[in-house]
Amino acid sequence: MAGRSTRGINGSNGSRTAPARAAALADLLHYECSTLLELFRKKENFTEDVTDRRLVSVPPPSSQLDTRDKLWRIHSALLQCQKLLEKAVAKEEEELGGGKKGKYENKRKLVKERLPLLILSTGELLKAAEGTTSLTPSVEGLEVNVPTGLLDLKLWVYRVYKEVNYWSKTAANTLKELPSVIVKEGARTTRARNRRSTRR
Amino acid sequence: MAHLSLTPTSKLISSGFVWLLWIVLGFSTSHTHADTGLTVPQRVTLSPNWYTQELSISWLGGGATTFELIILRTEFNETVFYETVSPTVNKVSGLHQWTWTSVNPLECTSLSVKIRSRDGHTTSEWSQTETLQGNDHPNSEQRVKVFPQDKVLPVGANITFCCILDEGLVLDKLKYDGNTTSVTRLSRRTYSTTVFNLVASRQSGSNMLCLPEDKEKLYGAVVFVGYPPLPIDFKCETHDLRSAVCQWGKGRDTHLYGSQRGTRYFVNNRDCSEVNQDVGQKEATCTLDTWEGNWTLVAKNLLGQYSLTDTAELSHRVCPVAPDLLSVVADAWNASLSWHWKYDSYSSLALVCQVEITATEDEKLIKRVFSGVGLRSVFLSDLYPDEHYSVKVRCGAQQNFWKWGNWSKLSSFKTKTYVPDTPDAWIWLNTDNTGKVIWKPLTRRQSHGKLTQYEVFLWSPEENRALAPAVTLPPNNWSMPVNLTEIAFFSNNGSVVAKVTARNDAGSSPPARVHLTSVEPLAAPRIVYTDQGFPLFWENNANATCGYVVEWLDAFCPQDCPVEWIKLPAGTTNVSIESATFQPGVRYNLSLYSCSSDARELLKRWQGYTQELVPSVALTLSASQQNADILLTWKEIPLVNRRGFLLGYNIYNSTGYQFKLLENVSDPETMSYTAKDFAKGFIKGTFKFTVKAYTAAGENTGTTATVTIEPYTDWLILEILTSLGLVTLLLAIVTFTCYKKRKWVKKAFYPDIPEPKLPSDWPRTRGPLDVKPSPHSMVCVVETPEYDCIKDMLVAIPEEDEDDAGQGIGDESVDTDEPTSLRYYNQMVDERPIRPRFPDSSASSISSMSSAHTDVTYTGIQTSGSSLVLQLDPQGSSECHQPQLDRLVSYGGGGYRPQMQPRAPSDDMDLPSPESFLEPQAACSGGYKPQGSWQLDSPVDAAEMGSLAPSLGSPTSVASTQFLLPDGEENTGEKRQLSSSAASWLTNLLSSTKP
Repeated sequence: MAGRSTRGINGSNGSRTAPARAAALADLLHYECSTLLELFRKKENFTEDVTDRRLVSVPPPSSQLDTRDKLWRIHSALLQCQKLLEKAVAKEEEELGGGKKGKYENKRKLVKERLPLLILSTGELLKAAEGTTSLTPSVEGLEVNVPTGLLDLKLWVYRVYKEVNYWSKTAANTLKELPSVIVKEGARTTRARNRRSTRR
Repeated sequence: MAHLSLTPTSKLISSGFVWLLWIVLGFSTSHTHADTGLTVPQRVTLSPNWYTQELSISWLGGGATTFELIILRTEFNETVFYETVSPTVNKVSGLHQWTWTSVNPLECTSLSVKIRSRDGHTTSEWSQTETLQGNDHPNSEQRVKVFPQDKVLPVGANITFCCILDEGLVLDKLKYDGNTTSVTRLSRRTYSTTVFNLVASRQSGSNMLCLPEDKEKLYGAVVFVGYPPLPIDFKCETHDLRSAVCQWGKGRDTHLYGSQRGTRYFVNNRDCSEVNQDVGQKEATCTLDTWEGNWTLVAKNLLGQYSLTDTAELSHRVCPVAPDLLSVVADAWNASLSWHWKYDSYSSLALVCQVEITATEDEKLIKRVFSGVGLRSVFLSDLYPDEHYSVKVRCGAQQNFWKWGNWSKLSSFKTKTYVPDTPDAWIWLNTDNTGKVIWKPLTRRQSHGKLTQYEVFLWSPEENRALAPAVTLPPNNWSMPVNLTEIAFFSNNGSVVAKVTARNDAGSSPPARVHLTSVEPLAAPRIVYTDQGFPLFWENNANATCGYVVEWLDAFCPQDCPVEWIKLPAGTTNVSIESATFQPGVRYNLSLYSCSSDARELLKRWQGYTQELVPSVALTLSASQQNADILLTWKEIPLVNRRGFLLGYNIYNSTGYQFKLLENVSDPETMSYTAKDFAKGFIKGTFKFTVKAYTAAGENTGTTATVTIEPYTDWLILEILTSLGLVTLLLAIVTFTCYKKRKWVKKAFYPDIPEPKLPSDWPRTRGPLDVKPSPHSMVCVVETPEYDCIKDMLVAIPEEDEDDAGQGIGDESVDTDEPTSLRYYNQMVDERPIRPRFPDSSASSISSMSSAHTDVTYTGIQTSGSSLVLQLDPQGSSECHQPQLDRLVSYGGGGYRPQMQPRAPSDDMDLPSPESFLEPQAACSGGYKPQGSWQLDSPVDAAEMGSLAPSLGSPTSVASTQFLLPDGEENTGEKRQLSSSAASWLTNLLSSTKP
């Protein structure tokens, strides 16, 4: 593409490891979230895999996706996860909380605090790939429907955790596949990306 | 059937119309059941309470007080309830009402209700069926599929859940908190399960899951199981003397949390829940603006409520707040502490306050209590200079004390510096009058500030002047060398005092005074260490005007010893000395000095160990043989290695496998030991001697010396001579005794033989009783097989019973030819039959001769050969036949005559040599030769060989009575002469005693 310039993130040598750092962060989040899921399952005696309903909506994966698209995809998913997680934690605390804080609550807090760090990392990578911040996805319009029944609330919280778990793992895998130097591929419109409305 | 329905709007109908309707209705029913008087209940209405699962059923009419009521599950037409009930009746409206509580949630499935009147056995027709539509109805739009939802129940209760599946789904299972439960089908799509005796649930509640076979679908409900609240210890108090602060304990865990299910608290109807939601807090508080005097706490949750009350006057419940804004003004030894009160009302309140002071140096806590009205400052005395302190205060009401208020925040301060304490100085002198003035380092508490230096003056009290300029020493130096010889020169042999002062920023300390005088050593008795240290006792010394000094140090320290001391006030007469530097196995010298203005004087001295150990080194030992004695010598153990008071030495002798204590030498000064006659009894050998020094703690490892003992033959000779002498002496004693008691011996051994009583002219003359040898007692003389030795054989014939003449009858003529030498003497040998030691008597005889082990006894005098059995050569004996006495006669008047050929002594105890068998002629010509070379003690032989002498004192076998020791047929003539004379003497002696 004519006129396209290439540069590493922040133009420094240290930037070359940014995807790897983000991947490590995603790995860590995935590990923490797996532990959180296990704690929740044990706490609620959910012996079966009670639900597999998806809550996050992003374009499906494809071999045709370039680096920017891959980054955009996981960044968008993680943003949705963050909104869902914050709502889930608040609602769970409101409806089912009030007692002593234990291992589960601490792990939940940890995951909730670590997810924004991964979002920040993927956002930085996306910015580096796009060259602008205007194309970053937004979740402002995302509606979160919280169930009214307490068991439905628990199941919903469980689904949220599973989404965070899934997308942190996906992010880790995607980030590991990325080249160590992110190349700016020129401006693209979010409108074009938004046309991919197919759910994965 | 005509039927009128009534609606609630009928209230709006005018009363006249109502009456008309009732008349019409009454006419109608009376017309229908004119025969029973009961009418069908009308207007059946169902009012469900979904949460409590109660179904309120109301109806009109019926004309009875009792009704039959049937409730069925509509879909399966199963009867759930069928009973006769007595409903309540609204007297105004005439409405009958009865409430039924369902086990299953009312949403589970549709219920149909019918009622009829009953009066005794008479019933009306059933009312029209009224149906409560369940959520399993196809038209139901409820999304919830499991009932009840989010219920709260007490621990121990039971609950029934139902699950309504979507159309087309098949139930897999119901699970309560992970456990599969048993299922009851209520309708086509509804299943129920009951959980009994519920346990307290976790914070997020227990889950009831309804799992269809289609895993994509999942329904469920949550139930919370807990307890009603049970608060404790409800008390109200005041901090500001105006408002009330009420406190209580939350009590047991209700297991119900959050704003929706958690416990709510109310004090005098004021909601205090918001500030007490933290489940981590065991205590709850609620503040009321005014002091009401009476309070009621109500704690409630969804399971129940609990109330507590409290009543009190304000003055009895004053709990002051924590003092605020603490400030300290500090001096060297004290400080002023002040604070502020949050409330002005405290100015008139009598307070008692606790002040806690902690010294940073040692973290020692000092608690002091002050009191006063509106107390807000205190004076803290007895502090240490140059010390960091932290202080805090809390107060309570002095009157009607209720409780201490909270502690104030900590306030820190530091006291000012002050001149140091007087150093504790002492002097240590070597034997050459050199030494050092020493003093103990001042602790931080004694320094009262950072020390800058020490100063030492040498002072002449007589002249009241310094003998030399002051010596300045850094603060980490605690001694100064002195030479008394030099000092004496400067002081003109007057007394000298060393003055030691310490200095810091605040100034110099008062001087410590030490008299530089040498002392004469004293004897040091031993002292025993106890748990409290070395207990020292002494008598009070009037000269000790400024007290005493007890000094101690290692007793074997040669020069510039690390000395420790303690100063005691005047009048002290005992002290226990304990020190962290005491070590076991070290001897300490403890010295008591008196302190006066003129000089120091050594009053007493002791020596002791804190713990005695065994000596640390072994002795230097040497050993030598001196004749039969073994001389052991060793060197003294050095004092420093003794590690205890030496008590002596233990001397051991080891002989391979034995380790025997020979001697305990209890005198530690002894350096040698002689094992007397140790070599006696040993031909030759190597022996080890070990000498171990011992203290109260035990023996040391010891030193071993080896001695090889040389043969010591002198002793053997001496032993033999001694034995011979003893035998001789014994014989002499026996002889003497026998002589003295000869009458008794005669009577005991040779009693008079009674004369035979003969019927005829048997000669009565007394004389020796001649006996003839019994032919059956003959002894076969050894002869060679080739030679018929019988003819040469001599047979000794022992005495036999007189009536045992059978064997001798045939030889009577021979007997007459016998010499009279076989004279009978009353034999005093053992009368017991001579028994062979072995079953075979011949073998016994052989063994008695050949065995070296023979029981021997001295039988005294034996003069008869009657019991003698001569052991012949076995070969020769086998050839023996009846003796021919004519051959014996051919030997001449001696009758039997033993062979008297000399032999080598070695043959005496042996069997005849082979040569003797090879020369039968010679043997026979030599006559009889007994195997044992013992003389046949026949009277003839005795006469020839000195009579009885050979038998005297000879041992005999207990089995054979034969004398065992060789007599010495080969004895020299001299010996034989002696024996012969002794025998003669004894014969004469005995003969003389015969009556």
